[in-house]
Amino acid sequence: MATKATKVTMADIKKAFWRYVFFSQCGWNYERMQSVGYCYSMLPIFKKTRPDPEEFKEAFITNLNFYNTNPILGTPLIMGAHIALEEAGASFDTTEGLKVGLMGPLAGVGDTLVWALYNSIIFSICSSMALAGNSLGPILAMILVFFPYMALRWWQITWAYKQGSNLMASIGGGAIGRITEFATIVGLVVIGGFAPSIVHLVTPLAYSQNITVGGETATQTVSVQAQLDAVLPYMLPALVIFLAYWLLKKKGWSPVKVIMLLVVIGFLGGAFGIFG
Amino acid sequence: MSPVLTALVLALLAYILVFDMLAPMFVLGNRPLIAGFLTGLIVGDVKTGMLIGGTLELMSLGVYTYGGATVPDYMLGAILGTYFGKGGNFDVGIALAIPAALLMTQVDILNRFLNFVFVHRADRYAEAGDVKGFERMMVWTSHMIWGFSRAIPVFLAIALGEPVVKSVSAFFDAFPWINKGITAAGGILPAIGFAMLLKILPVEKYPAFLLVGFVLFAYLKMPLVGIALCGVALAAIYQYLKYEKKEA
Repeated sequence: MATKATKVTMADIKKAFWRYVFFSQCGWNYERMQSVGYCYSMLPIFKKTRPDPEEFKEAFITNLNFYNTNPILGTPLIMGAHIALEEAGASFDTTEGLKVGLMGPLAGVGDTLVWALYNSIIFSICSSMALAGNSLGPILAMILVFFPYMALRWWQITWAYKQGSNLMASIGGGAIGRITEFATIVGLVVIGGFAPSIVHLVTPLAYSQNITVGGETATQTVSVQAQLDAVLPYMLPALVIFLAYWLLKKKGWSPVKVIMLLVVIGFLGGAFGIFG
Repeated sequence: MSPVLTALVLALLAYILVFDMLAPMFVLGNRPLIAGFLTGLIVGDVKTGMLIGGTLELMSLGVYTYGGATVPDYMLGAILGTYFGKGGNFDVGIALAIPAALLMTQVDILNRFLNFVFVHRADRYAEAGDVKGFERMMVWTSHMIWGFSRAIPVFLAIALGEPVVKSVSAFFDAFPWINKGITAAGGILPAIGFAMLLKILPVEKYPAFLLVGFVLFAYLKMPLVGIALCGVALAAIYQYLKYEKKEA
């Protein structure tokens, strides 16, 4: 080694953090996904920890490897732990192992907690406000994105930096596992109630039948929807959601393909007056 | 504003919102609620922006690009839908927004593919040890393919679209069943978002929790916040029985 590695300062971490905030997924591609954004974010750190030009170049090349996880709850955590390892003089095998080991599980946790649960809840509430003509709806949504997202991202990078190599252990089980389990249960209960309230599918179909009461024959109109509701309320929305889930999960359909199918079913049903 | 100037401003908005989606996520501008609202501010019809954005938002709750999968571009749908729906033409706006969002899936696949140029250029910069070159690419060009893939369609649709949209709306008036079909399709589309959520959540491990939520809403008509609080209580009880009891 030509020169000695200097200590990573808070200023370096801030520099890496802002690079991540502004460019984490720029250049995203099918081949290596978020790799260029990750490498770009970490370069200020490597400048400190890898003063030898050859070693710096190796860090540059190695960190262009395939990388993808949740950008909000995921990447900052991995960066923090990676910075700690860099400072401790870890080998490239160790740092790449950390990235690969964490990016899969964190993608699952982050997508569930941030996209599926948090966003769905705030955006459904704020959309209902907007649809009622209240401009506070979209403004509130922006506030509920900006501050929590910034705080969550900064907290992760600094917390993970302090945890350093202990982080691997705490992700696997322990506290984070329990938080995810808790959030998953809340999410499932909310989705169970929420899905039928948002998916709108009713049928205006009706049929006539002749009934004889006390010797007199009368014609009675029977609503199909009322019959369905008597069996199970919100049966049609539940069936459509189950169909979409089954196609996605068991049949391996892409979301776009399922959307196309729903558009065709909905359009034909609406046009022919089966749904309304 | 003349149509061309509006087209330019909204194309710029599309570019900025794409950039926000790629990294900063300051306001999640790619969500249709936000895109529709901001477009409404620009074209001077916030009400339509909120109606179009809010409607598209509810259609796409839970629809995110998990693992880089392509989903319809409701952001672009909200911008065009708000522009063409302004001044009380909500039906026309929403009828255009959905097909526009779906059509963009092809463009999305193409731009995600074309972005490989950045990682290949990065490889060459790394081999040459050219940090400055790589940094210039990241800051100035790495978002261009994605940004222009949305900005250009927005510009063209607004600059050239008025006559097309007029004839489309005349067509809708002549055939009311088309609007009925689109309305029904819009009603069932949110099913996809929930199906995607269920796919990434361990439904098969905990089906009972889904059922509780359904019963609370369908039979007891409980508002969403109440259902969420029940979820919190159930999760706490579940974890108490699972962990604390053993420790006690």
